[in-house]
Amino acid sequence: MADFLSAYSIQSWLESCPQSYLEDTVYGHGADEGEAELVIENEVLREDSIRTTVALVVGERCALSASSGLINLAPDEGSKRFLATQTLDEARHVEIFTQRLFDLGVKKDNLETTVQRYANPNLIKFAELLLEKIDNKDFVAGVVGQNIVLEGMAFSVFEMMHTANAEMNPKFAHTLSGTIADERRHVGFGENRIGSLIQEHPEKKPEVEKMQKEMSYWMLATFSDAFKQTQAIDELDRIGEQRSHARFHGTDLGLASPEEMEAVLADTVLKEFKTRLGRIGLDYQTPSRP
Amino acid sequence: MSTPTSKTATESPVEVHDLDPSEFLEEVHSFEFWFQAVEGYLSGTSHGHRPETAERPRVGEERERLIGVLCNYCVAESAALDTASGLVTIAPNRQSKIFLSTQVVDEGRHLEVFLHRLGELGVGDAEAEIAKRASPSMLAFKSRLLQLIEGKDWDSAIFAQNVALESLEFVVFRRHCETADPVTAEVLARVIKDERRHMGFGENELGRRFRTDPTGRVRIREFRKEIDHLVHETLKDTARHLGVPSGDQEELGRLYRESVERLGLS
Repeated sequence: MADFLSAYSIQSWLESCPQSYLEDTVYGHGADEGEAELVIENEVLREDSIRTTVALVVGERCALSASSGLINLAPDEGSKRFLATQTLDEARHVEIFTQRLFDLGVKKDNLETTVQRYANPNLIKFAELLLEKIDNKDFVAGVVGQNIVLEGMAFSVFEMMHTANAEMNPKFAHTLSGTIADERRHVGFGENRIGSLIQEHPEKKPEVEKMQKEMSYWMLATFSDAFKQTQAIDELDRIGEQRSHARFHGTDLGLASPEEMEAVLADTVLKEFKTRLGRIGLDYQTPSRP
Repeated sequence: MSTPTSKTATESPVEVHDLDPSEFLEEVHSFEFWFQAVEGYLSGTSHGHRPETAERPRVGEERERLIGVLCNYCVAESAALDTASGLVTIAPNRQSKIFLSTQVVDEGRHLEVFLHRLGELGVGDAEAEIAKRASPSMLAFKSRLLQLIEGKDWDSAIFAQNVALESLEFVVFRRHCETADPVTAEVLARVIKDERRHMGFGENELGRRFRTDPTGRVRIREFRKEIDHLVHETLKDTARHLGVPSGDQEELGRLYRESVERLGLS
């Protein structure tokens, strides 16, 4: 384990993250990049972007609480130090997505009311389930919930958003690309560290698998709400703006309906869960459909 | 990363001390500000020192003493890591959470560089060595800090961690730097820069809270009396490990007393 954890040291983190892919960025994007004009000038698109960004802020606030809470529960110093880097990564994500809300015109004094107004209740249920495990000082469930389920979800959501925004909103796409690199590292730690802990504590499997099933349900409910609420596609059609025809897991995002987008995202995330949970010795549990 | 005070290529850089108080806090409690600060002194280093810095091997009693000191630094940094991460969870606002997240990674780095230094000195099982050499006062201090986090007592935990423990570390590391071998001195010099930032946050946070809630000052004044003996015992133990003459130990406690006085807690 010592050798595997050396790859997750703070020294490695300093060299691979702040001194590498974050070099020459400001709030995760190029210093001279601004939010797409179309998004700023069109009220429907702006509100849609605010709602989406609030979901990212809520998710990252949960990840920040979870990863900082896991440090005190970690059974070894190496894991504590990796989780220290993850805590700062999550804080950075909170910061850059909060900054995006300000870039979209949200006033600093209105930040919390904006978050409350647009936060999806199903996403809050998802977060509460995870934070309850941390409150109960359950390290194994906490790492699976945080580094496999939450991070796995974030990874695919960010990838889809990155694909959709790469051409139309390079500033937001660049912000996302740094977070995707971070999430990849977090998921890697979860897979590598938790496998041995599951082997040591096989009695924890049923409870952890139940948590995965419940968290997956609230995640699907969040996706369902998000794609029902979006007005961006209709608005782009109304004003005669082309959507990007980039492909996400075989789906043309320029042609897909919101239902089709929801389906491809849900399918991608659940397949990833199944693969990753299998690698650490857990049986994937199919969630009910909301 | 680019300087956080130049938001775009076309805007002029902003001097943080010219900002209004809320913008100042937003700026100095940010990841961007942290990175700008540490990049200046961590760039080009490996485990806290420049790779080319010459090692001056320590032998015999001198090596033993250094190992004992580093083991106790590890206990202090491990306490700081656990406490800072607990503080993230109970922090009352976003800016404090973000600042404390930078402190979490700083404390994790300090622990890592001291463990690495123990390895360079030939210590194979650092965790066993730390358990053997940890001073009881430092362990008692750590235990008290974790109780404060468990009780979600923000003001007391910030005082104990970012004022008391950080002042203690700052003054001890600075003193040790004067006599340390070149590699240890470099490692310590970079840790000291972080401690200065953490102390600044603690004093600033408590100072602001006391201005709006004077009862907080009264409560922390009482709490300070409770932990004073822990601070002094820990200082005495560490000074003994360092070989500081007993006459100089009083001088080492001065920084802690100054912080306490600045906060009106004496």
